[in-house]
Amino acid sequence: MNKIDIACIIDDDPIFIFGAKRMMELSDFCNSFMIFKNGQEAINNLKSIMLAGEEIPEVILLDINMPIMDGWEFLDEFTQIESHKLITIYIVSSSIDPVDLQRAKRYENVSNFIIKPIAIQTLKNILQEVSQD
Amino acid sequence: MQKQSKVSLLEFIQKHATIGTWEYDVELDSVHWSSETKKIHEVSVDFEPKVESGISFYRIGYSRTTITKLFTNCIEKHEDFDIELEIVTPLGINKWVRVIGMPIIENYKCCKVQGLFQDIDEKTKNSIALNFKEKQLRQTFESALIGMAIIDLEGNWINVNRSLCKTFGYSTEELMSLSFTDITHPEDLKKGYKSRFDMINGKLDDYETEKRFLDKKGDTIWTQLSTSIVRDDNGQPLHFVAQISDISQIKKSSNKVNQLLKTTENQNKRLLNFAHIVSHNLRSHYANLDMLLDIVKIDLPETTENEVFPLILEAVNNLGETVENLNEVASINIKTDNIIESLNLSDYLNKAKKSIAAIILDSKSIIEIDVNKDLQILGIPAYLDSIILNFLTNAIKYKKPNEPAKIDISTDITDKKIVLKIKDNGQGIDLEKYGEKLFGMYKTFHRHEDSRGLGLFITKNQVEAIGGKIEVKSKVNEGTTFYIHLNKYE
Repeated sequence: MNKIDIACIIDDDPIFIFGAKRMMELSDFCNSFMIFKNGQEAINNLKSIMLAGEEIPEVILLDINMPIMDGWEFLDEFTQIESHKLITIYIVSSSIDPVDLQRAKRYENVSNFIIKPIAIQTLKNILQEVSQD
Repeated sequence: MQKQSKVSLLEFIQKHATIGTWEYDVELDSVHWSSETKKIHEVSVDFEPKVESGISFYRIGYSRTTITKLFTNCIEKHEDFDIELEIVTPLGINKWVRVIGMPIIENYKCCKVQGLFQDIDEKTKNSIALNFKEKQLRQTFESALIGMAIIDLEGNWINVNRSLCKTFGYSTEELMSLSFTDITHPEDLKKGYKSRFDMINGKLDDYETEKRFLDKKGDTIWTQLSTSIVRDDNGQPLHFVAQISDISQIKKSSNKVNQLLKTTENQNKRLLNFAHIVSHNLRSHYANLDMLLDIVKIDLPETTENEVFPLILEAVNNLGETVENLNEVASINIKTDNIIESLNLSDYLNKAKKSIAAIILDSKSIIEIDVNKDLQILGIPAYLDSIILNFLTNAIKYKKPNEPAKIDISTDITDKKIVLKIKDNGQGIDLEKYGEKLFGMYKTFHRHEDSRGLGLFITKNQVEAIGGKIEVKSKVNEGTTFYIHLNKYE
């Protein structure tokens, strides 16, 4: 199984970030991380990385409920940016509202809707899906 | 010839005016009635009247007393009389008559009384009936609890009743001195203008509207105004008749009800929102805890080998379950737009039985389904699944400790309903003690290891969401039967 080069976490919850990071390390998920605390921060940074032609993440774990710019708004903006590299986006939320699930399905870039908590197994599954593509 | 014609003229008049003559000779004590007089009395032409028999025709009471007195006065005091009285004919029919009597005086003595006798029955009866009707109408108008008015075509009062004056706080005189428009609320002046015009022009007979007026104090009075137009025989408009009922109270209370409804709706919305937010936020904290515990297990396995760690794990798991249940409750109430469809009851029962096959096998339970394969009910698929599953797992969960559960499922069918009966032989519920709490949130009745108590609450909500209801009969140590009323699909 190929290891992911860069994984990106967009979430405003420091506990989740800590946990997700640790789990990624423990499951040997990726080589490096990019962490953003909300959609706006993520858009700004990802845009300039792309413009500079630097390495962009392969996988994004995206939260929905965030201040300043939430997950949906991030998706709306992010899908406007053209990219040469395929980026797989997973929505990772504690919401079990079917309305959110339906909404996530409307975005082509969104591979799956993962309900928190995530476990080591969740990350392993993601790794498998990504390396298959 | 002259006399001949005079007599016949008199007879002619007597006959057509239904007037007869009579005469009493005092000295001879003899009475003479003309043929018309006899006819009015409804006696034969050869009837020979006497004073006593004549008087005995008058109705006992006022009529007889009066005629006796007048007749006596006429002879003794020489007073003539003209009176309307009632007689009773030999056939027992009451009849109004006019009797006129005049004394003929000779030598200061009354020697004769001459008089006329007229049948005025129809006229009197008509006028009495008319009087009565008029009085009745007047009283109805005056004492009606609804405000009534007669208004001329220009909008001036012709007559107003007590109720109307009371509604607006004016005396009759005060109100009569004002016009209809004077007391109309300024914003409602134009209301009904076209209808009034149409009524005058014969295009409309009546109209109803809600209209505001101002009372003496200047307060707004809400009324229901019904106006109709009265026309003469040629269709020319004469005046309006208006009924004005005070609906201020109704208006006020309906405003209050609306306000209350709005408040309740808002509160409900806020409550749902609250439930949603709480369950969502709680869920994210639970998810973090769960994740952190996972990390601890892998990262710091040495810290898990103690008595406390498994308890923390359990507590976190319980938290997760509680949050999930809360979320389910909140989502039932939010999803009111779920589409109700026709579902095959037997299919759903068998599906549920299959899905818990492992538990059934494990607990050695027996489930017997005796339900017609063609029965269709109205429901929401996910709800029906959950309802049936909940009743089945409950029945197994609360079986008697040393006896396998036996569950019988059958139906009662009525006109529009299907009653699904789920009967078990389990521990039973003390309904006297717990009946009211049975379907409450977080109530449990059995000291069972995984009693959560939310199941029946959710089930009840789901049954109600598809238009049904649940009834229960139970005896401790004998078993419980749940009756689930569902709507039949036809």
